[in-house]
Amino acid sequence: MTVTSAWSWRSLRLAPPLLPLLPALAWLPVLLVLPGLSHGGGWDLIGEFAWAALNPSLDPLVLGSLLSGLGITVGIALLGWALSLALGLLGGVLSSRTVWRTVIGSALPAELIRRLLAVPRAMHELLWGLLLLQLLGLQPVVAVFAITIPYAALVARVVSDLLDALPTQGLDALRLAGAPAAPALLTALGPALQPGVISYGGYRLECALRSATLLGVFGLGGLGTDLRLTLQSLQFSELWSGLWILLLVMLALEALLRALRQRWAMPARFGLTRRSVGRGGREVALGLVLLLPLLVLVAAALGVSPLQLGQLQPLPPFTADWPAVVALPWLSLIGSTLGLTLLAAALAVGSAPLLLLLLAPWRWGRLLIQAVWALGRLWPPPLTALLLLFVLQPGVLTAALALAFHNLGVLGRLLLEAEESAPMQAEEALVAAGAGPRLALLYGRFSALARSYLAYGAYRSDVILRETVVVGLVGAAGLGSLLLESLSSFAIDQLIALVAVYVLLTLMGEDLSDRLRRRLLAA
Amino acid sequence: MSSSPDRLLLELRSIRVPGRNAPRLDDVSLQLRPGERVALVGPSGAGKSTLLAVANGLIRPEAGEVFWNGAAPARSRRRRRLQQALIGTLWQDLRLIEELTVQQNLNAARLARWGWPRALLNLMLPVETAANAEVLAQVDLGADLLEQPVTALSGGQRQRLALARLLRQDPLLLLADEPLAHLDPRLARDLLDLLLKQASGGRALLLSLHRPDLLAGFDRVVALRQGRVVLDAAPSGLTGQQLAALYRSEA
Repeated sequence: MTVTSAWSWRSLRLAPPLLPLLPALAWLPVLLVLPGLSHGGGWDLIGEFAWAALNPSLDPLVLGSLLSGLGITVGIALLGWALSLALGLLGGVLSSRTVWRTVIGSALPAELIRRLLAVPRAMHELLWGLLLLQLLGLQPVVAVFAITIPYAALVARVVSDLLDALPTQGLDALRLAGAPAAPALLTALGPALQPGVISYGGYRLECALRSATLLGVFGLGGLGTDLRLTLQSLQFSELWSGLWILLLVMLALEALLRALRQRWAMPARFGLTRRSVGRGGREVALGLVLLLPLLVLVAAALGVSPLQLGQLQPLPPFTADWPAVVALPWLSLIGSTLGLTLLAAALAVGSAPLLLLLLAPWRWGRLLIQAVWALGRLWPPPLTALLLLFVLQPGVLTAALALAFHNLGVLGRLLLEAEESAPMQAEEALVAAGAGPRLALLYGRFSALARSYLAYGAYRSDVILRETVVVGLVGAAGLGSLLLESLSSFAIDQLIALVAVYVLLTLMGEDLSDRLRRRLLAA
Repeated sequence: MSSSPDRLLLELRSIRVPGRNAPRLDDVSLQLRPGERVALVGPSGAGKSTLLAVANGLIRPEAGEVFWNGAAPARSRRRRRLQQALIGTLWQDLRLIEELTVQQNLNAARLARWGWPRALLNLMLPVETAANAEVLAQVDLGADLLEQPVTALSGGQRQRLALARLLRQDPLLLLADEPLAHLDPRLARDLLDLLLKQASGGRALLLSLHRPDLLAGFDRVVALRQGRVVLDAAPSGLTGQQLAALYRSEA
């Protein structure tokens, strides 16, 4: 056999370790365009902002106000999370094909319920918050339900997916032995479902804290409101006091959940693989029992009651001008929303492995990227966007950078967790053969991580599409900007059309990212 | 690849590596010259893998000195990496990169000598195909496997690929950590013959072994027990009694 080393474009094939880095190429056009977008006026403000990180305000009045805001944010997050878990579990069981097949012999109701639940899931919690605000007025219950509705639908989807992925031999055996459907399902699938649900549930609590902060930025109360007000009034020292407090709470929560996951032998979040129920079953039950009175106390302290849902505010008269709605520049609106999503997703997905590769082998590098990613996670994208407006003009790129920074924080942490738990024998062998630490990391560890990381990146892109609405306030020229405008000007006809298009787009994006994820994981 | 016969390819002087209860290595000294083939024997937990990890630089000893090809490990990271490139290890678990092709795995052995551009190119295009085909031929594998994913290879092919990757590294010192464990007798004999054949000329071989019946072909046998060298002799001078004493506690 003759062997040639002639290269051709046909033989070009990217090996797995390169795939996670590929989206980082989006930085090239961004860096080319960025100087043109800079108005250069606010660099001194950025400097003041950065300096204030080292000089947060310690004024007792400021700290008292921030801590009170933090209490509201944490309370909203806790209530929204707990309600969404309870409703999501119920929704998950009701939309599980296995459950319906066991009970009535057909999976049709599961398919119907899944499709129904896709609608609340497709709308971002901010959108729910602003809609509920119009209906109920400003009160904590608005933020709680704004989190509960989309989160419950998300939890339902994950629970039903987990349920339907479980092997059913045990269930079949119980049914053949004459066990009724409900006890058989509970006995055969319940224990196997528990680790995945608890692990995912913990993750949702972290998300709920971030969502509650974000809702505050849009005026729904809590620490987010303080953060936005201090930023807009350029009180950077006070802003940083709030940020440091939030960072401490967030990191403490993440550490607690990580410790519990390890103690209870729950799966990591990168892949919700099934494992046996750990010794923590009793501790989990005890935790849930203790949680209930805490939730009642929090609800009482915040003045949240389900009865408030019945107290609707009078709405302005609805006058529709559908021809004007149809005449909106839909193509350009959808195009810029999708462009914003793709750009933000590429920057976030590509930057995490790039930064890890460049900085992690350096002695302090790992600590540095952990700090940057933690800030990215906690800093709500609209605030990043406002900060960027000090030096950049409003538009798609500014919004994309804000969204990318936030999602980089989420993705980066996941990547780091996965990298630290991945087998390192191949990398060690390369180091022993004299390879540099970065090349050893790229070849030895990225190879194994690449596909699962990209699969998560595909899921995250779908989340970013939903999140485009939150950067609407920087005039990103997409559906989000117009949607926020319609909300504030009570243009209900336009609002209905925009929400419908958003939901449709998100559902299509979800479907696309699902397909991509399945392909990546199957390869 | 150059090395004068009187030069030491590996010299360990009074190495000590701490362990949880007792030291993993205690006052271990060892010398290897070009062309030497040394078998490292001893019961499980005797310190064979630790000694190999000290020899290839993965473990830095608490006390003692390591010399590679006559020089102490360089302080500069780059120079140290080039020194390590002259030491190749065949791992018991092979440590192939499962997600890459045979060719990319072979080229991974060159990373110490390559810059980033070529290392990245290797993940996109077939690179140095002729050299890779040559090392595959040395281990009786065909060049048609070059673009195959590692996952498509049989167990025996994977063993040979790991050896080919070692040869592609072109080291002066070959280290092998229990490479014959879990192999059937014929495959073990074939692989050992290939390894012994490679350790000629300027190269030396240090191979840890669990089977005393395969000692023929080695120039020296070094026995470890509880982290100490208890024997260093030619295989012909080794008695059954000595071997039995070495493995007694294990039995």
